[in-house]
Amino acid sequence: MPPWSDFEPFIVSGLALGGVYALSGVGLVVLYRATGVLYLAFGAVGAMGALVAWSLVQAGAPGWISWLVCIAVAALITLGYGLLFGPPLSKRDPLVKAVATLGLTLVLYGVMDLLWTTSGGEARSITLPTDNSGFTVASIQVNWTQVIGLAAGVVITAATGAFLRYTNLGTAMRAMANDREITATLGVPVRKVEAAAWLGCGVLAGVAGLLLADMVALDATTLTFLVVSSLAAVLIARLRSIALTFAAAIVIGLVHDLITPITSLTNYRDMTPFVLAAVALLVVSRRQVMSRSREEA
Amino acid sequence: MIEVAGLTVRFGGVTSLDDMSLTFEQGTCGLIGPNGAGKTTFLNVLSGFIRPASGTVRAFGVDLMSMAHYRRARWGLRRTFQTEQAIEELSVFDNVALVHEHSGLGRAARRQAVLEAIGFVGLDTGPDAKVGTLGAGQRRLVEVARAVVGRPRLVLLDEPAAGLPDEETRHLSEVLRSIPEHTGALVILVDHDMSLVSACCRTTAVLDFGKLIASGPTAAVLRDDDVIRAYLGVA
Amino acid sequence: MRIRAAVIVALLAFVLFGIPQLFSLYYVDTMTEVAVYSIVALGLGVLVGRVGLVSLGQVAVLAIGAWSAARLLFATTQPYPVVLIEAGLITMVAGVVIGLPALRLRGLYLALITLMLAGAITIVLDTINFPNGGRGFLGYNGGAITPPAIRLPSIAASDKAYFQYSVVVAIVMFLLVFAHIRTRPGRAWAAIRQSEPAALATGINVTLYKLWALALASFITGVAGGLLAGASHYLYSIDFPAQNSIILLGVVLMGGVYSMWGAVVAALLYQFLPALLQNWGVSADWLTILFGLGVLQVLTTAPAGLADQVPKDLARLGRLLRRRLARAPAPAGGDPP
Repeated sequence: MPPWSDFEPFIVSGLALGGVYALSGVGLVVLYRATGVLYLAFGAVGAMGALVAWSLVQAGAPGWISWLVCIAVAALITLGYGLLFGPPLSKRDPLVKAVATLGLTLVLYGVMDLLWTTSGGEARSITLPTDNSGFTVASIQVNWTQVIGLAAGVVITAATGAFLRYTNLGTAMRAMANDREITATLGVPVRKVEAAAWLGCGVLAGVAGLLLADMVALDATTLTFLVVSSLAAVLIARLRSIALTFAAAIVIGLVHDLITPITSLTNYRDMTPFVLAAVALLVVSRRQVMSRSREEA
Repeated sequence: MIEVAGLTVRFGGVTSLDDMSLTFEQGTCGLIGPNGAGKTTFLNVLSGFIRPASGTVRAFGVDLMSMAHYRRARWGLRRTFQTEQAIEELSVFDNVALVHEHSGLGRAARRQAVLEAIGFVGLDTGPDAKVGTLGAGQRRLVEVARAVVGRPRLVLLDEPAAGLPDEETRHLSEVLRSIPEHTGALVILVDHDMSLVSACCRTTAVLDFGKLIASGPTAAVLRDDDVIRAYLGVA
Repeated sequence: MRIRAAVIVALLAFVLFGIPQLFSLYYVDTMTEVAVYSIVALGLGVLVGRVGLVSLGQVAVLAIGAWSAARLLFATTQPYPVVLIEAGLITMVAGVVIGLPALRLRGLYLALITLMLAGAITIVLDTINFPNGGRGFLGYNGGAITPPAIRLPSIAASDKAYFQYSVVVAIVMFLLVFAHIRTRPGRAWAAIRQSEPAALATGINVTLYKLWALALASFITGVAGGLLAGASHYLYSIDFPAQNSIILLGVVLMGGVYSMWGAVVAALLYQFLPALLQNWGVSADWLTILFGLGVLQVLTTAPAGLADQVPKDLARLGRLLRRRLARAPAPAGGDPP
């Protein structure tokens, strides 16, 4: 076991990573509750936004414009998908809706590999100005990007929770999670609420893409599949609780990074989300009775 | 005979069945009540789709609740569904034979029983017709054939006549009425069609908001003041 | 019916004897992979089309089969068919052990669990590597500069012979699945797919039959992994990236999950089309985009896939042409003098 001081920097990076997973997870949960769609293209649209931003910076655009464009690209693709494919699939099983977003993932993946091919050996990166300035807490170096990562997770989780609870739009989303048709008969503009959820989820995908491109790597495959880590948090929360999603995401981020200095386990650290989610789901499933029956009743 | 004692089912905060105790003796027994009264919930408990919060169900001396749900079908518990559930991509024969595949009988005996059940319900399409090509009334008959093939002990019918035109309802009603005599099974019929219930059932029980409010001979129950108030409306 | 059988036999004869003669080695090797992946697609088709289980990790399952077969081929001198069956059985046990607890979950959760587990398997394989003739349980020799190739069956040591060998194995696997679909498990799966409560009410042990489908799919995928080990000569973990499971699901949905031909169509889309495009100098990324659009199109409009859609379209076209011809004036023959 390495000395404690080896772990210290990884507490900070783990918390930051967990924060980004949390904001992604919250985006996924809100969209799922409002539309019934588990958006598996979340990572891919984030990656798309980050790559466009990278190209803009290469072309000489100022940083802040590229960041906004990153978020806008992810938000517009997501909204476009939601408007185009949401209605024809709205009556289908959640599984079909989720698999359809894999179709979007493949399209985006192909486009990214075509336009920003990785085979040239050209390494890309996004650096935020907050990377190089920071402070020291109890002899641990902390940079501002890490602070932003964790803070974004906390703020987004809290704000979304408040939004769902206290605003009309949020109440409509919660109602739609229960029953779309009844909500529609109550006079809620279902289409508009859904569009809002798609847009919000897309914005979060853009933010997550930008932060992860800086903190992990700017690479289509890596970013596309990093969504799996947030997905693990969402699964642990059973696609429902935002608070639980946040907690699970932080734990996943922390465990993942704290394993890094342990030599015998470091190669397996990327398994953290899979293992935690699998264990959590299997424990939950033991207590589950036939769930189809309520729909029958 | 089925003895239900203290059966309670809760979904979250809602109590769908509230301490229901009742005995079904023999023949065809009706179970009626307004929508949401807990009729289908009761059938789902018997089928094993819902685990009750408390209570016991003994059927012909066997503790039904301790049996795995698919085993209940093999034991002789059969049912039809509110939304008809004949399997579209199989033939009429295969649909009915599904139930019978685990009976342990030989192939020839099984075939005989399946054809007999199809004949009993009066399905004129022939056993090889694909269910996907049949009309709603015929599919209902396939479902009923599936419920009576072999030796059923307990047959649950969940609104079998829902959505059928009068003519088909009349044929179905004749089929349903002869199930106990033909198979020896106890039949529980849930339906909103009072003429069907009075034609088929000697005894009837009434549920309202998960509570049993009346039970007894059908004619008497249908005249009961509480029942009229809760369900049938002022006559 | 007899015409159909004759067409199938003629088609198989062409595949077995025509392709090795007419095609270049490049395409013969490609068609070997098509044979292998048609088995994988068939397995996924059984899961998705018959019992409604969506697996997002079939490439990881394939990797388990390939790993087991490679290990056995290096460690023993057993005949090839025995190794293939053993690889299938090992994969089947792995699939069932993973699936048994996961089967209690509803569709979406199950799909995501397979995605997670596939990710985990990929990471393990990245770390332990594929056997390359080394010692010990893992059989990996990191220092080997020229590791020995995975051996081939003695009766099929050339690329062309190995292609024929693979096609024969694929045919056996298709017959195995066909036998299942036509008998009791197939009827039980049909009932489960339509409605689980109705299946339970007819006395079908839903968990058992789902597990059966999972075992069958894992077994044939494991056998396919064994075939792939021989076809590749050397195996590396980068040959089994997680995104390929998603592409595989895409092509299987496009090919069609309700017909066994769909599996062949899927394998052609997955292996033959990229090889063709590579030969023409077109990036395979276009295909990924096409597959993505295909998934969206299939899910929104044609759930039975290409294997169902194309014959229907052809039939429609045929009817149209016939009607056109019928309306056209009768051909010459009775012209007045």
